[in-house]
Amino acid sequence: MNVLKVPARTIAVFVLPCLIIYIGLVFVPIIVSIYDSLLDWDSINKAKFIGLDNFKTMFAHDANFWPAVRHTLMYAVFSMLEIPICLFVAALMNRYVKKANTLVSIYFVPVILSTVIIGQLWKTIYNPADMGGMLNGILNSLGLESWTRSWLTEPKIAMYCLYFVSLWQYFGYHLLIQFTGVQNIPQEVYEAAKIDGAEGFKSDWYITYPMAVPIFKISIVLAFIGSLQQFDLVWVMTGGGPAHATDTISTHMYNSSFLSLKYGYGSALATFLVFVCLVFTVVINSVFKKVEAKYS
Amino acid sequence: MKGISKGIVYAVLGILVITQIYPLFWLVLYSLKTNEQILGSSFFSLPTTPQWHNYKDAYKSGHYLQYLGNSVLVTVVTLVCVIVFSSMVAYAISRFKWRYGPIVTLIFLMGMMIPMQATLLPLMVIFKNLHILNTRWALILPYIAFATPISVFILSGFMRGIPAEIEESAFIDGASVYRIFRSIILPISIPPIMTVVILTFITIWNEYIMAATFISSEKLKTLPFGIYTFVSQYNVNYGAIGAFLVLGALPVLIVYFVLSERITKGMVAGAVKG
Repeated sequence: MNVLKVPARTIAVFVLPCLIIYIGLVFVPIIVSIYDSLLDWDSINKAKFIGLDNFKTMFAHDANFWPAVRHTLMYAVFSMLEIPICLFVAALMNRYVKKANTLVSIYFVPVILSTVIIGQLWKTIYNPADMGGMLNGILNSLGLESWTRSWLTEPKIAMYCLYFVSLWQYFGYHLLIQFTGVQNIPQEVYEAAKIDGAEGFKSDWYITYPMAVPIFKISIVLAFIGSLQQFDLVWVMTGGGPAHATDTISTHMYNSSFLSLKYGYGSALATFLVFVCLVFTVVINSVFKKVEAKYS
Repeated sequence: MKGISKGIVYAVLGILVITQIYPLFWLVLYSLKTNEQILGSSFFSLPTTPQWHNYKDAYKSGHYLQYLGNSVLVTVVTLVCVIVFSSMVAYAISRFKWRYGPIVTLIFLMGMMIPMQATLLPLMVIFKNLHILNTRWALILPYIAFATPISVFILSGFMRGIPAEIEESAFIDGASVYRIFRSIILPISIPPIMTVVILTFITIWNEYIMAATFISSEKLKTLPFGIYTFVSQYNVNYGAIGAFLVLGALPVLIVYFVLSERITKGMVAGAVKG
């Protein structure tokens, strides 16, 4: 594969500029962050080495930590639940709709918009009816006044409202990925199945879904890792509030580092986040290796 | 039977179109109403007379053009750097014979798993010490760094498939490595470069949290951060907020309208290869 033998200097010219920026701005900060997590360091006092105390505080004493972890994992679960639906819709579109590509690109519109815009838009939709909120307006006109509420300030439901916005925004993204996967299944397979008597939903069940496993996996990994890092939307819509009811790991980290100015503790949370992302990426990939081995 | 199920499918797909698009349409209506209409009337009412002055207000008081210009500048510089740097690295790891190639590949691969938020605090300290906090570099540099892993991955995957004969014959004709890279490899690699451009563009154009953390001066804010600022400052002028959100969404919507097929293809390619 590697064809050219070139002097080391040439290689350096090709690789170093990018590698230096990349290591300096991605790897070095992560390592610094791991080191900082061992410090008692805030905006006033000098940093002091305290070993793993920050992690002890995090796991045992921080009342907001485990809820944030739970919200983050729930985020991941909800966003993965959406993907079977996307696959189902993609299979339907492939079978029934002629100009499905146009339809997919319509569904895709929310994906390309900034989370700040999406977040503000949905904040307005969730507003109380007397502030022009659409959702409460719809409920009122359906005669469901008792269902109206201040969606984002009630701790019990605020988190679900955020999950919903993410599902709404990324529906088009996963649909697009699944649809591309479904489209790439060769037509001959379906024709052969037709001869064997499998048509319609039956062919979906025996052909489309099993053959879509690799692309299904891609969506799952993207949704999962994306949810672990979920930040912008929560930040724009609730800032983690009311009273930490919608905190995720990363908003909790941001709050601790940049608002409470507990740099050491914030770094411990950041380290935890990196760790979780690495572990789950490895776990998901190995789970799917087994699934794929079963289906191929 | 077939007709019925077809009808149901169309109905479901139609409802999905409404749920995905109607909120955006509603925002446009919202942006054309007066405060009284927004607060008083029902959600589907049309604006009695379109309040274009909401747009004028948003445009005038919101530094819209400034934010837009900053976003364009930061995005363009980042894109150029990402293309140049990552295609060079991709070429080196896919075609050169050298000992550390696999390690460098691995280092770049690992970057795709790292959550960007975890670097915010250390980066802020680093930028402060380099005196580039609150300059455009504080955005461009990390944007480049976080865009390179996926770009290198996509480009090197493509370059591995370029037949070696092309380079060999060019080499025999006396072309240097640099020449081969510039005149042969780069032009052939235009399709994956387009994918990289699309992925990077969508990410950077919409990036909010780095901008909000590293930038404080009004003059340097990019569009998403600018929108956020505007909304928090004008929180009672609902129509103008709506107008600013529409203006904020407009550039990327126009780009999408023109290039939708390329963009969807690019996003899929990015997802599949990532």
